[in-house]
Amino acid sequence: MIRIAAVGDVHVDRDVLGRYRPALEQLPGVADALLVAGDLTRHGTVEEAECMASEFGDLGVPVVVVLGNHDHQSDQQDAVSDVLRQAGLTVLEGDTTVLEINGHRLGIAGVKGFGGGFAGACASSFGEREMKNFVGTTEAVAERLGAALRGLDCDALVALTHYAPIPETLVGEPLEIYPFLGSYLLGQAIDSAPTALALHGHAHHGSERGRTPGGVPVRNVAHPVIKQAYNVYQLLSADVDAGLARI
Amino acid sequence: MAPQLDEYVEAEIQRLLTESGAIAEQGITLQRRDHLLVLGGEVESAQRRDEICRQITANFPDLEIACDIGIVRAAAPSEVEEIS
Repeated sequence: MIRIAAVGDVHVDRDVLGRYRPALEQLPGVADALLVAGDLTRHGTVEEAECMASEFGDLGVPVVVVLGNHDHQSDQQDAVSDVLRQAGLTVLEGDTTVLEINGHRLGIAGVKGFGGGFAGACASSFGEREMKNFVGTTEAVAERLGAALRGLDCDALVALTHYAPIPETLVGEPLEIYPFLGSYLLGQAIDSAPTALALHGHAHHGSERGRTPGGVPVRNVAHPVIKQAYNVYQLLSADVDAGLARI
Repeated sequence: MAPQLDEYVEAEIQRLLTESGAIAEQGITLQRRDHLLVLGGEVESAQRRDEICRQITANFPDLEIACDIGIVRAAAPSEVEEIS
């Protein structure tokens, strides 16, 4: 059994310090790892990254994150990642990490992702250079995610993104902005490997649950969607831990 | 007479909420009533909610706003979901 805690869009800054900490300090008793699906900060500054490291560091369980679009706002994403890594967090962008948990190997592949939309209403690489760059960015990111997932040989495989891989977990958002919230290319990448669970954030007004066309469970763990410090998901089913009710 | 609350004003406010360095919120909803703008969504702190209202009032002093923005709860979960 592997238990994964997950949340996204925590947007940490000085005014948030201490809000998550009481719940986070319970993590070693309820989950084996914490995954954070991007938008760790408000503006992507080093100072905010230090706040994130302070709030989400030293938790007693591994913490694996991807960056979100907010974490790119100040063009300091590399410095933000460095601060988080120095605090012991694992920052993924097109790469993977493997955790040994209860005798199982949990593989996590992560990318921020990007937009472009979904089947029937997706952007195409055609016309202006700006449009080709937009679609090309998502194509490149999705290829890296797919290759990362396919390169893992684990008991359970999790895809971690900020942008959404399917439209079902965007329901509640205005239809007009779906192309800015995710891309079917991410879903296609997730379906190219035996992925057990896909986690994303970004869509604050979206829905929690969906599945890729290939049947992979998808969870939108944006904080305003789950409305608690984190959700806990159990993979490789076994007995549910005492103290936690099965839903 | 109350100021006109048209789509251009709504768009201007939506961009202000995202592009203003003091706010940087993309998840705030705006609903236009006859002469009232209702703000919705959730943010991470009371300071952020208050800053949103302050900035809109400062930039659109004649606009009447109602703030229904909530603060996202951050309690520990009581349940685990089994993925199958």
